[in-house]
Amino acid sequence: MTRSTTRTIHRGRRIRAVGAFVRVIAIIVVATVLPCRAEDPISGRWEGSARIPADDITVVLDLAQQNGAWVGSIIIPGLGLKGAPLTDLKVQASGVNFAVKGALGIQLKLRLDANNKLAGDFEQAGNRAPVTLLKTGPPQVEHPPRNTPVAKELEGEWKGDYEMLGYPRHVSIKFANHPDGATADFVIVGRKHNVLPVDLITQEGDLVTVDSHEIGFSFEGRLRDGKLTGAISQGAIETPLVLMRSK
Amino acid sequence: MITKISGILGLFATLCATSAIDAQSMFRGDAMHSGTFAGPAPRQFHRVKWKFPTGDRVISSPVFKDNVIYFGGDDGNVYAVDAATGRQIWKRATNGPAPATPAIADGTVYIGSYDGKFYAFNAQTGAVKWKFATDGERRFEAKGLHGMQPKNQTIADPFDIFLSSPVVANGTVYFGSGDGNVYALDSATGDLRWKFKTGDVVHASPALADGVLFFGSWDSYFYAVDAATGKEKWRFHGGEDPTIHNQVGFQSSPAVMNGTVYTGCRDANLYALDAATGKEKWRFFNDLSWVITSPAVADGKVFFATSDSSLYHVVDANSGKPIVRQQGKAFMFSSPAVVSDVVFIGVLNGTLEARDLKTGDLLWDFKVEKSKQNDGWVLTGDRKFNVPFLFHSNWREVPLLATDQEIRVGAIFSSPLVVNGVVYFGSADGFLYALE
Repeated sequence: MTRSTTRTIHRGRRIRAVGAFVRVIAIIVVATVLPCRAEDPISGRWEGSARIPADDITVVLDLAQQNGAWVGSIIIPGLGLKGAPLTDLKVQASGVNFAVKGALGIQLKLRLDANNKLAGDFEQAGNRAPVTLLKTGPPQVEHPPRNTPVAKELEGEWKGDYEMLGYPRHVSIKFANHPDGATADFVIVGRKHNVLPVDLITQEGDLVTVDSHEIGFSFEGRLRDGKLTGAISQGAIETPLVLMRSK
Repeated sequence: MITKISGILGLFATLCATSAIDAQSMFRGDAMHSGTFAGPAPRQFHRVKWKFPTGDRVISSPVFKDNVIYFGGDDGNVYAVDAATGRQIWKRATNGPAPATPAIADGTVYIGSYDGKFYAFNAQTGAVKWKFATDGERRFEAKGLHGMQPKNQTIADPFDIFLSSPVVANGTVYFGSGDGNVYALDSATGDLRWKFKTGDVVHASPALADGVLFFGSWDSYFYAVDAATGKEKWRFHGGEDPTIHNQVGFQSSPAVMNGTVYTGCRDANLYALDAATGKEKWRFFNDLSWVITSPAVADGKVFFATSDSSLYHVVDANSGKPIVRQQGKAFMFSSPAVVSDVVFIGVLNGTLEARDLKTGDLLWDFKVEKSKQNDGWVLTGDRKFNVPFLFHSNWREVPLLATDQEIRVGAIFSSPLVVNGVVYFGSADGFLYALE
């Protein structure tokens, strides 16, 4: 056995020793993490159904922790809910309660049972149905679309007029940019002065949209030649509207 | 011989013209709507790979491009979903249900919606590239439709369930509309190139071959139009039904192969028409049962299925002579997908079927949960529609409610797509499924 052979064997032993050490550390890290994950039985995708008379309503619920806070969204095929945000979300080790944002007025009160199922009540319009959900995988929480910034040339007030049901309406939209996206003051003056609650402003290329989902109003137009040319929509009713910069 | 060579050249020209589009990135696989897909086909069912929930029915058929599945939802969203994991990549809202199948070309997703608009989205991000406003969507309607009372009341057809799916070639996107037009738009800008007016709703999807666009309308005519100019080349008259409007209209989308156009019709025929002249080559009559499915054409055979009689057929493409006839369980609106030695088709009782290519024998089937639950006894014990129970009156509301009930069992209107041995399809239960 030469000296160089001996050095090679020693080096090999050192490498194996380091490898063993790394494995021990990895096991300790995983072992440390596992109990943490086990303490979070609520986080995940939950699927099941609410049993209303003569029908099953499919429910897909996503719950997760982000930055120390619980967030969630829900999917209910047949009710038009796809990734709808949850409100009044309260999560405890024993269960979860929340309401679904929107006009349907749905509330769920769920308890985590001994079989790791979320079971409880599905409530809507004074009715109550039993609901049972099973965890099927990691959470896929959907976040509502965020306001984008708008172009510098769009900042400020834009005005225009349209007619609906025989009455003239005056529209004003005032855009402003902020660090977390644009805001817009959306006012329609007809027989009344209406300040619309705006919940989404986006600009993609020259396409600008301002949405008030709460009352079903939206404006969508293209910024071309110094004009915002598009349409104002109320539900399925769409009326052409051109907005000009306010002088 | 000359006809054969010109046919081959025409096929080659069409393939070149649509070279930017994969064979899985539009309705029925290609511009000619062959309904055939390359790759392996599962002869056995192993498991649900994933299922993707949406907010409403999925009538649209999925398409595939660069490992992403795209489809429309009746919840008004257009979806891009990771084909491997079933995770959502993006969704974009339209203002109406989107029971059309998108086409993907040059990084753009094209699809129409019941809001009367036709959309072009960036395939990677979902950002709107442009929108085009048609003259408005509507369903086929008629007084006394299907014998419903009162006979003087106009009733919208609940089985007019699909919207026209686009075909894209040579920088132009073509689609039909409920306003009776077929539109040709610049695929980059959405500018109108031409529109062709028919007499009623066009919800069939146009097929393109050799520079000619082929489509049927609910006005009882089937049209061939020059794709470049929108000028009519010929029209073919299908059946009429002035009394209850049940046996009229082309809801099926055509397939074009070797100089022949194959299309189903609500007049209960499957037609084979000469693509150059519109002259009828043969017809296959289905005893008053609609042919809503879009035929698939492969190996000199035509594959299709019927509604009320629930029959699965394979006929000779040249003669129309029957080769295979299999009795199904329930109505079929979904169009067959031919992959290797298997044919896949959806059934309105909430079942996806895999049948042997040669014999038509059932290899395996998959039932969605809603179908197994059978709430309201929509289905009989042997999984046929419980027709006497559902349609016990012909008063207007009852047939409409009955059709709604039928859909409740997770009906599969969507046409299956098979990529790398995975079968993708939508269900009226609100899920898009991936089976392997």
